[in-house]
Amino acid sequence: MKKIGWFCAYTPVELIHAAGFLPVGVKSDSGAEHEDVVLGDSICSYVRSCMGGALTGAYDSLSGVVIAHSCECMRRLADGWGYRQEEIKPRMLHLIDVPKVVTDSSIAFFAGGIKHMKETLEEQVGPITEDALKNAIETYATTRMHFAKIDTLRKKEAPAVTGKEVAALIEKSFEIPRESFNSLLENFIQDKEGETGDESAPRIMLIGGPGNSSLIPTIETVGGLCVVEHMCTGLRLFAGERVPHEDPCHELAALYLKKAPCPRMLHDKAREAIEEIQAMVKDYRVDGVVYYSMKFCANMQMQYALLKNDIPLDVPVKVLEGDISSEVNAREVQSFIKRLKKRRKKNR
Amino acid sequence: MNREQVIKENTEQRKIQIENLLCAKGLEGISPKDAVKMAFPKAFEDLSPSAKRGYLNTEQFFNAYNFNIQGEFEYHHLAWRSLFVPTEIMYAMDLLPFTSEMVASQLAMSGMARERIETAEAHNFSGDICSFMKAVAGGVIENIFPTPDILITSTHLCDPSAKYAELASHHYNRPEFVLDIPYGLYDMSIRGSEKDLKRVEEGVEYVCRQLHEMIDFITEHTGLRLENEKLRQVIRWTNKARAWLEEGNDVTLHERTAAKKGVRELDYAANLMQTWGTERIVDVYKSRCIDYKASVEPKSKGTQPRIVWFHLRPYFKTPLMNYLDEKIDLCGSQINFAYWEPLDLADPIRAISRRTVLHPAFSSITARTAIAIDEIPDDTDGIIAYYPKSCRHFHGGSIMENETFKKAGIPILTIDGDCVDDRGEDFPIVKTRVDRFMKSILKNPRSAKK
Ligand code: SF4
Ligand code: SF4
Repeated sequence: MKKIGWFCAYTPVELIHAAGFLPVGVKSDSGAEHEDVVLGDSICSYVRSCMGGALTGAYDSLSGVVIAHSCECMRRLADGWGYRQEEIKPRMLHLIDVPKVVTDSSIAFFAGGIKHMKETLEEQVGPITEDALKNAIETYATTRMHFAKIDTLRKKEAPAVTGKEVAALIEKSFEIPRESFNSLLENFIQDKEGETGDESAPRIMLIGGPGNSSLIPTIETVGGLCVVEHMCTGLRLFAGERVPHEDPCHELAALYLKKAPCPRMLHDKAREAIEEIQAMVKDYRVDGVVYYSMKFCANMQMQYALLKNDIPLDVPVKVLEGDISSEVNAREVQSFIKRLKKRRKKNR
Repeated sequence: MNREQVIKENTEQRKIQIENLLCAKGLEGISPKDAVKMAFPKAFEDLSPSAKRGYLNTEQFFNAYNFNIQGEFEYHHLAWRSLFVPTEIMYAMDLLPFTSEMVASQLAMSGMARERIETAEAHNFSGDICSFMKAVAGGVIENIFPTPDILITSTHLCDPSAKYAELASHHYNRPEFVLDIPYGLYDMSIRGSEKDLKRVEEGVEYVCRQLHEMIDFITEHTGLRLENEKLRQVIRWTNKARAWLEEGNDVTLHERTAAKKGVRELDYAANLMQTWGTERIVDVYKSRCIDYKASVEPKSKGTQPRIVWFHLRPYFKTPLMNYLDEKIDLCGSQINFAYWEPLDLADPIRAISRRTVLHPAFSSITARTAIAIDEIPDDTDGIIAYYPKSCRHFHGGSIMENETFKKAGIPILTIDGDCVDDRGEDFPIVKTRVDRFMKSILKNPRSAKK
């Protein structure tokens, strides 16, 4: 099966699936070991890693990529990719712009952008039928439904689901056909239903972008339990509810723009993001928040300043600034978890 | 809060904010009225073109605190603005813009930026956030800026300023309007395929609709209304100013003129200014053009290399700009480029929308460099690009830009610096790089390569 890579949780992957490609999520550190020589060091480490990976063959199995214009770093990734295209094997490069506000007209405009992307894919594979797209939307809606169930399990007192397990599932979702992934989720849920986990572990909410693969293991090794990840490699991938619309591109546009927002979003949606975080702290009975602020990501850094200065959360927040593959300071995390453990014991 | 209450609250707050500003400037004890009078020692008409530009900015700055140039109270409906929000509609509605990035550069020019940046960093703003925004954030925390009636921001060119406005809106408890500008339409307009051109038109329509919503938003929150005739008048001024700007640019780009000075030339920052749509900006660009024409010198007279400048300059005090003034003939700059066609009086809002979405700086590096290669005359010797290290939009593309210009035979020097934050300033190192660049230009002149 031919593969198309995608980078950002705002990419309407259903369309790639409907075109008969396997959508492959480019993992947050898949190219990290490769040095990027095209983008300056003011660009975030995720984007630099992707650029480095592209130049050193890490994505040679792909036929092309779709880059969602989610931020200023992603725009430069599209530039770098196009600029060095001759040395990069995946040939197709499509940049799709994603609005930063959610209104009727931004949804309609984004629907136009999805159609524009559809035309690019059709140049590769021929017509994508409406039925194929509707089926793809259905298949991905099943994933969302399964994740909603997993979330319900995680909201319970002493959940049996760990953050590490969810991270492993998400990693799988990046590389296997969606139908198989849905079966995997079904089995996972069956295994976990009725099970319980460690009651004393402080419940952690993670906020961030593409994150850092050693973050969740570090938190859980030192005694915390991640119960929700408001991240590009977490909740933001599978949140959102389907509202059927006669035009499937319009339906996708609404689904993606209205879902749990990344800090890139502005205006009402940005306010909603903060309210949502506040509500989740209660919903998931969170003891503490770890905010993983990606260096050189202005959106995440600004959201953090807002949370810290103006809208404090009801629970302790620990900010860690780093990149996608830097070492996570285990001692720092450990002392935070220790503090939360004491607090949790006292509160109970 | 109703409109009267907003005006009352703003009036009270701005009185305190101007006092705070003067205090931060080290002018405590001086009454705001006196400070305003001191800022205008000469009449507008008697000034040089560059000083006229400064006068206009200062006047608007004090207006934002409810002072006219006599130092008398005059309430102004104020809109916090990010750099690329079009201003014509605001002036046609009697709404005064207060541009956050411009304010940051003013803080830097008066030596006030560093402390504000330190305030921001002490309040959870990360060290690698753009210093323009950190200076503004610090100023907001210290309460030295006037409370706006509303905020209007746009998503182009970069992430920090639109994102920061969200924080400012929360801080001041004033409503915000966000103009969502689609990225990449300029590139599509160049590619020119049927599907791309269709997308460009959808983008123009999308922004046009938002501009109409913006007008309703302004009316709803300030009571100000848009008069079509006033808008047409404002557009006429913009078109005239644009024509003078372009004519003046032609002179600088093709001739040597004694009147032009590098720093002053950069301070016009014409396509960034919040003065588009005022009557006085016509005068500024007209006198600039006349001045330049009157001082044209024979080409043989000057020996300094002719250099085009990219992005902005350091606004804090540094010997660099004076040094460059001696060394180079700054003959053009990105920020003075009149990139748009005259606006259509018959359909002004759509024309503003088109200008906004087709901003060439909101495009790929390939498109940006192609314009420059096209526009820079053969007798120009090279480019100096001054990019803040914290700027993803410009600095993030500098490696590709460098290679492209070198391939096109245009020497380029990229200075990694900062426009507002002087803490990492290292003039001797930059000077060495400039000297080396000049030497190589003189050794291998572009003309010899042709
Ligand atoms: S981490 Fe931030 S800057 Fe990097 S790709 Fe994600 S949103 Fe963009
Ligand atoms: S320096 Fe760059 S990031 Fe900062 S305001 Fe300018 S374009 Fe935006």
